[in-house]
Amino acid sequence: MAATGKVLVILGLCLLPILTSADTCLAPQIKSQTYSTPEAIVSTETVLIAEFTLTCKNSLKNINLYADVGGRLIPATKTSEVNKYQISITDDHKKLPAGRYDIRVFDEEGFALLRKAQRSGESTDSIKPLFVLNLNHSGIWNGPIVQTEFVAALAAILIWWLAYTARSKLLA
Amino acid sequence: MAGGKQNKLSREEELLLQDFSRNVSTKSSALFYGNALIVSAIPMWLFWRIHQMDLYQSAIVFILGTFISTYLVAYAYRNVKFILKHKIALKREDAVAKEMMKKLADDKKMTKKEKDERVLWKKNEVADYEATTFSIFYNNALYLVLLIVASFFLLKNFNPVVNYSFSVGSAAGLLALFSTSSKV
Repeated sequence: MAATGKVLVILGLCLLPILTSADTCLAPQIKSQTYSTPEAIVSTETVLIAEFTLTCKNSLKNINLYADVGGRLIPATKTSEVNKYQISITDDHKKLPAGRYDIRVFDEEGFALLRKAQRSGESTDSIKPLFVLNLNHSGIWNGPIVQTEFVAALAAILIWWLAYTARSKLLA
Repeated sequence: MAGGKQNKLSREEELLLQDFSRNVSTKSSALFYGNALIVSAIPMWLFWRIHQMDLYQSAIVFILGTFISTYLVAYAYRNVKFILKHKIALKREDAVAKEMMKKLADDKKMTKKEKDERVLWKKNEVADYEATTFSIFYNNALYLVLLIVASFFLLKNFNPVVNYSFSVGSAAGLLALFSTSSKV
């Protein structure tokens, strides 16, 4: 019995690297699409969305992924398609200014390390993410400075003023 | 006016009457109503395309508003024209007389009275034409200012039907009211 147990342990130890490697995506390949809110007239908040399809060399499917965007930790949402994920951030227009956003994506292991580093107050920069997505937010458009109806009213008033002065001259 | 010799007016008197009457000729009346209709129809476009009112659903309001506004705008045209005509006639009197005299100077057969009549007639025509066109211009400008200010600023938070009724009504109403003032 003891011999069988030892054999099992050795077998387990031999299998361990294979099992663990099954959790890590090897040579991840990304196809991504990003979106950011373009204007503030009809949107109350800025939204940044990154959608990506992950292909692993070791054909892992539907692993859990997490994203770190400037210190915000967000779980990546799995979509109905296999290996397609979505990350979205919503906040006030001012809190998400125009610029380049690096979305660092971690797997479970990397995320655990990240949380650990955060808890102990260490820098998280040294933790290597699975991959990094770049999102360019070109900023929001707040609409024209002068409203169209104001311009229309101003033009109408100007024409009327011309008519009025001409009338005053005729009636003088 | 039961006829008879006493009531028969001379041509000069008729011209004078025409000069001072508030009545307008059919031609200028048609011009007034045509212009008033065009100007009154403009808000329809504004409320259809900009304020997103449905053209067919609000057809009754649009037609009613356009007709009432047409009447009031034409009324304002007439009043302003009447006020302006005399002033313009006085302003242009000398120039018209000079030009007509120059034109008629070669005509030796024409009597002095006839020449004066011609001058008077020309003066009336010039003043009438200028007053008509200026009245249309002035009232259109004022109507559009009142309409734009009312619909975009004063009544912008009301629903479009209310906005249309009140902005067109107030623009046309105020226009008619202002036209009755004889002051500058």
